[in-house]
Amino acid sequence: MDTNNRSNGQKKISMMLGIALVTASLFVVEQAVSMATSTLTFSPRDAAAGTFPEVWIHGSKSAMDNEDPAVQVHAYNEHTYILRENKAVNYEGAFMYLLFGNEKALLIDQGSTASPALFPLRDVVDGIIAEWEAKHGQTTQLIVANSHLHGDHYAAWNQFVDRPNTLMVGLTHEEVMDYWGFSNYPEQRIEYDLGGRTFIVTGTPGHQSSELAMYDTWTDLLYTGDMFYRGRLYLEDWEAWAASIKRLRQLADEYPVTHLVNNHIEMTVTPKVDYPVGTTWQPEEPPMQMTLQMLDIAVDAIDDVNGPGIYKYEDFMIYNEIPWSYTTDP
Amino acid sequence: MAKYRTFLNRCLLLSILLTASSAYGHMLNMTNIHILVDEQQQSTVTVSIDLGQSLLSAEDYWAATQAPLNEQHIYLQPALAQLKQSLRFLVDGEVRNLQMIDFEIGALSLDAIKNPLTPQMATLRYSLNVANGERIGVELDQGLEIPWPCLVKINVFGQNLPQSRLLTDYDRISIDASLSEKPLMHTTSLASLMSGWMNIAPGVSWVAVGFQHIVPKGLDHMLFILGLFFLSSGWRLLLIQITGFTIAHSLTLGLSMYGVINLSAEIVEPLIALSIVYIAIDNLFSKQVARFRLLIVCFFGLLHGLGFASVLANIGLPQEQFLLGLGLFNFGVEIGQLTVIAGAYLIVGWGRRQVWYDSMVAQPATIVIAGTGAYWFLKRIAF
Repeated sequence: MDTNNRSNGQKKISMMLGIALVTASLFVVEQAVSMATSTLTFSPRDAAAGTFPEVWIHGSKSAMDNEDPAVQVHAYNEHTYILRENKAVNYEGAFMYLLFGNEKALLIDQGSTASPALFPLRDVVDGIIAEWEAKHGQTTQLIVANSHLHGDHYAAWNQFVDRPNTLMVGLTHEEVMDYWGFSNYPEQRIEYDLGGRTFIVTGTPGHQSSELAMYDTWTDLLYTGDMFYRGRLYLEDWEAWAASIKRLRQLADEYPVTHLVNNHIEMTVTPKVDYPVGTTWQPEEPPMQMTLQMLDIAVDAIDDVNGPGIYKYEDFMIYNEIPWSYTTDP
Repeated sequence: MAKYRTFLNRCLLLSILLTASSAYGHMLNMTNIHILVDEQQQSTVTVSIDLGQSLLSAEDYWAATQAPLNEQHIYLQPALAQLKQSLRFLVDGEVRNLQMIDFEIGALSLDAIKNPLTPQMATLRYSLNVANGERIGVELDQGLEIPWPCLVKINVFGQNLPQSRLLTDYDRISIDASLSEKPLMHTTSLASLMSGWMNIAPGVSWVAVGFQHIVPKGLDHMLFILGLFFLSSGWRLLLIQITGFTIAHSLTLGLSMYGVINLSAEIVEPLIALSIVYIAIDNLFSKQVARFRLLIVCFFGLLHGLGFASVLANIGLPQEQFLLGLGLFNFGVEIGQLTVIAGAYLIVGWGRRQVWYDSMVAQPATIVIAGTGAYWFLKRIAF
């Protein structure tokens, strides 16, 4: 009897050791694969830190005399780049994003100027990628995608069509939906894997009917494109925008968000005052990044807006279903 | 050299500022060309263009919109002639002529035409003969100034996706697009799977999503099911446990989708991993299935249902088909589970009555299942 008990006890211990061995082996294999392939880890547990510039390069009094780079490059952190088109090249001063995961990089938007001579976006992106590849020992496929399908965000798209190891998502609604995997746009949430860096992608129509928002689980940045930024929010479909802003709020309720980042700055530092359309020099720009409190104000605005018109808030303006020629300019 | 470059940049800047008036303001009045090839290989080309900001003066375009229908073409003639000469469609490298079908024009006011921020678009429709397998490209003359950029969209019958090309002031020749019926597919994405099935049987797509969430994506759910498989000595017992698990996860899936219960994935996912460890250890250390095992399996079923719900919530069920979609997704999950069981039986299940089965198959497999569950649990709570 004792011998049986002892034998059973030994058997149980050996089985427990077996389980522990399997668990440990899986960790070892994971670590070995990670080391062998120079794999980077993008853990969503803690927000990866990053910084924004004190002020962005914001054009000049005379566009002709501007000697700033055509594309400002800011490294939010070593795997997250924010680019801005020089306002002297195009007054839109659009922001673009270059995000790295393992063996993949995602370029969101391609600015408002087609000419490589005036706006050498491809050269700039190639330079950043080459430097990143050298530092991290990886070869990177570039994915050229768009926040939405307006011409001021894909003008330099052609600069990338002949780029090796590059995937062009496409400029039609159908191609965009197919690439991201939407079967129920805009409500659906897509878990997008950029080489181990996970993004939650959802539809945010209202400004434009193919627009996307992306939440980066690694940095906790919520990217809101043209549907929410410090400026004139031109809405072509109020109902769709209202639903989209609620969807963003819901996303921010479920995930930690450090900042909301986006595509333009059109406001001044003075509350409720914007720069005129077409401004190429904005010396009193507020930061580009926005806060969750501002998102709350946008959600509350749903109750204020009762028809087409301009609705002013401290950090943004809602241009609801009115011709874009209407401005608040004096 | 630097001074020369600055001078060059200024010249370029000046040139673009002089020509950029048509591109002012979020580029709202950009030009669109849509090539649609139908089942009979007949192609319709639709050009959407802000004529009053480009090929005609605002006044002439306004006059055209105000003219009787049968006289409008007289006002449009200069623009149509310029387009005919400067907009070329190359099929397999050779220019193929367009035949105008009709046009639609309209404008709110002369002021609206003059303002590039309120584009008053004209729609021009042409026919173009093409054949299956040919390749098409679009070319614009250097002298043609239209509101940029110009987006070309090509839809071919039989292709599940359009192709897009971009023409700009600097890139006036597009890369060729294939007119082959061969379906284009960027990805093997869920959307492609869904859209493919949607055409045949709309409900099947939700079944497919449910199935896919077990095989191949739901490795943790698969291991849990295999844990049940390796312990159950007979089909009856296995069937009872699988049924209990199914009823339980259907319950929480439904309640969660209707918003009655809501538990964070950060809590649910580690618990699902723990459920795998528990079932496997129970297999190893229990001489026979405990009476309360069914209750425990049902409890774990509730947890797994919450896991399924987070997947389905991310996809988003359409409001008008909520209940149907939910049921079909769940049905797909069941088929996935049964597939796992059937696969396990085919590979090792036939040897269940053999003396070597326990020591050579069931126990080692269960140890691996427990070890994997523990690995997931640690990863899910620690990383």
